[in-house]
Amino acid sequence: MVQRVWALSLVTCKEGIRDRSLYGIFLFALFVLGLNVAVAGFFMRDLGKVTVDMNLAALSFAGLLLVFFIGINLMAKDIDKKTIHLVLSKPFSRGEYIWGKYFGLLLVVLFAQVIVLLFSCATVACVHAMYPGYFTSFSWPVFFIAAFFIYLQQALLCAIVVFFSSITSTSFITLIFSMASYIVGISLEEVVFYLRTQAATEEVVASATLHHTLEVVTWLVPNFAAFDFKIEAAHGLALEWSRLWTSCGYGVLYICILLVLASLIFKRREFN
Amino acid sequence: MTEIILNSLSKSYKPSLFKKRVQAVDGLSLKVSSGSVYGLVGPNGAGKSTTIRMLLNLIRPDRGEVTINDQLVSSGEFLHDVGYLPENPYLYDHLTLRELLQFAGRACGLSTEIVSRRTQELTEQTGIAHALSRRLRTFSKGMRQRAGLCFALLHDPNLVILDEPMSGLDPLGRKMVCELILDLKQQGKTIFFCSHILSDTERLCDQIAILHQGRKVREFSADDLSAFRAGERCLEDEFVAAVGQSNVTDEIQREVD
Amino acid sequence: MMPQRGKGLWLVVVLLLPFYAYLHMGSWTQRAELRQAPTTSFLVPSQFSRVLACGYKGLLADFQFLRVLTFYGDRSANQQPLSTQDWDYFRDSIDVLTDLDPYFYDPYVLTEGLLTWDAGRFEDANTLLAKGARYRRNDWRLPYFIGFNNFFFLKDYAAGAEHIMAASRLPDSPSYLPTLAARLAYYGGKSQTAVLFLKQMLAENSDERLAKRLQLRLSALERAALIEAALQRFRHEKQRDVENVKELVTAGYVQQLPEDPYGGQWRILPNGRVFSTSKFVQGKKE
Repeated sequence: MVQRVWALSLVTCKEGIRDRSLYGIFLFALFVLGLNVAVAGFFMRDLGKVTVDMNLAALSFAGLLLVFFIGINLMAKDIDKKTIHLVLSKPFSRGEYIWGKYFGLLLVVLFAQVIVLLFSCATVACVHAMYPGYFTSFSWPVFFIAAFFIYLQQALLCAIVVFFSSITSTSFITLIFSMASYIVGISLEEVVFYLRTQAATEEVVASATLHHTLEVVTWLVPNFAAFDFKIEAAHGLALEWSRLWTSCGYGVLYICILLVLASLIFKRREFN
Repeated sequence: MTEIILNSLSKSYKPSLFKKRVQAVDGLSLKVSSGSVYGLVGPNGAGKSTTIRMLLNLIRPDRGEVTINDQLVSSGEFLHDVGYLPENPYLYDHLTLRELLQFAGRACGLSTEIVSRRTQELTEQTGIAHALSRRLRTFSKGMRQRAGLCFALLHDPNLVILDEPMSGLDPLGRKMVCELILDLKQQGKTIFFCSHILSDTERLCDQIAILHQGRKVREFSADDLSAFRAGERCLEDEFVAAVGQSNVTDEIQREVD
Repeated sequence: MMPQRGKGLWLVVVLLLPFYAYLHMGSWTQRAELRQAPTTSFLVPSQFSRVLACGYKGLLADFQFLRVLTFYGDRSANQQPLSTQDWDYFRDSIDVLTDLDPYFYDPYVLTEGLLTWDAGRFEDANTLLAKGARYRRNDWRLPYFIGFNNFFFLKDYAAGAEHIMAASRLPDSPSYLPTLAARLAYYGGKSQTAVLFLKQMLAENSDERLAKRLQLRLSALERAALIEAALQRFRHEKQRDVENVKELVTAGYVQQLPEDPYGGQWRILPNGRVFSTSKFVQGKKE
């Protein structure tokens, strides 16, 4: 079983990497990093923070573009062009197909993230060399931890993409739902805590239904803020291991549940 | 020893929300004995591809069942021994031919040596050995068809299912496929294929069924086929007659209803 | 036929270019004028910008900070003084962006540099700096700034001393802080204390804008301190107060009266402190 899943992952990964669209994403990342070097001088003191902000934003956004466009394409193309008939004619179970495609997506994203991260490190080193006095609070370990969690965030997004792809074959619908999940996941924490503080001070009267709905949403949609260590990386703040392990576990578990659900849904699907 | 039994297979689907349900396959029963070549012919939209998809468990029939070697197809175990070539195969564009066949091999659990040996054999037999390191997106339609054949046959399956294997091939290509099918038959494999091209079907098959609007309207046994090959009867005429008759029957049925 | 059509299209492009150039320049001129007008920019309140940032709060804070810098730069490049509205916008912008990233140090420096000296909004500055102090717990400079504001602008020497003491307890704080706190608590508003404060600020500072202000104030205060010292000696020896500042020169306690760098005239206050008609603010002349 592992061999089959790995075979499909490898094939998916190669398809993704050899897609010319990847170059566009790299160009974008390069552009942001170049901007970083150019713009650093505008700021007064906290250049380390600004550099980290821009680098992690490039890493994160490149990953987003990758997952939303190339990732969804990799899933939808199989069904559109009926390549899935060929794959499923080999002894793949539906579940193995889902996991194989998912790991393939992960590999593509990993490849792209590693390359952007390398450029990122070069940029940080460059700006550091240009303005040595202003990097007082920068910390490489925290920077890499933040980069890892950005990757985990992308992995979660890939799982969401695979999940929605298993339900619908239209790539546009998958895109809309995945983007919506991302936006909800990112803003969830802010909205929930804002309403809680407002409820405490009784400034905004929010109905009980709204609170219950939000409660349900927090269970269904992952809280992406748990994987956001950008501010900590920007200021070199210390991180507790308990927090890291909890976020990691939360992410991995959510991915597993989502993929199992996707497998179940996929088992019921018919391919005309 | 692979035999297929289709038992009263039926499948309908709705083309869109507001259109009427279309019966793609209606009460189809047939038996493919092991080691024989079975041909399914019919006009466009007869339900040939739908039947093949039900054979492969890609879609589930509304009624009836498919048994391969006394095992229900819905269990999914049979795929280890099946090779499938769809009509107009679309393969992963950015892979090279070699990578595609390596994928096929790994998916079936073959070792690397067997995979490279079979790759060499098959690509030489189908005439695309020179293109092993080329990306599939550079392949012409004929080459893609041959690549699909290699993909289907890599793990030396005992049951080979082909959907319009001759489509898009030039005469040389068609000759290559015919020779391949006869070669496979000699090895004792069971072959099930559907085609438009009556002449090739006549030459290769042990049994032929004519499908029209989802129903089997005629079945020709081995004796019938020897007669066709001897020139005593003409398959084309009997095909047209069978389909035409079926059309008439349908009209009368509609009038009566 | 084809090459001719091709040439026709190139001609079209060439003809369109001057129109584009004209409209391009017009558009940019319009925008420049618009930016000089009283602040009409809408500021997205913190709660919403936190959500809208979509996980890029730090970056958005950086961007907002650049906007504030440009806003102030625009005004000072055009020699426009900032109105109350402008300062409100400035303060609110810094408030929003420090809500997005409260650890961001630069806005606090800008606040301390501009909101106090230029705008005179000492309480606003202290509120913002207090937010920073809550998050940047190991940064001695923020309570130091608050202490400075209390001492220098708000004349609340007790609060000033408290904050300076708090700063002195934080890592890497300069060694003179406890002494300074003690002085503040005891001597209150003497010019010599302020001189010490300012000298330190200058040593820590790297922003040119702030440096110029600090330097100017420092020289004014040093001169005031000189005069104050001479005054004290005079009172001690002559057992009476001077009539006016010039008496110090004639009596020989000061060789030459230093000039007020702000362009005002020295005045002696009833409590013995030396002040100036310029009130140590640039541009005011009596």
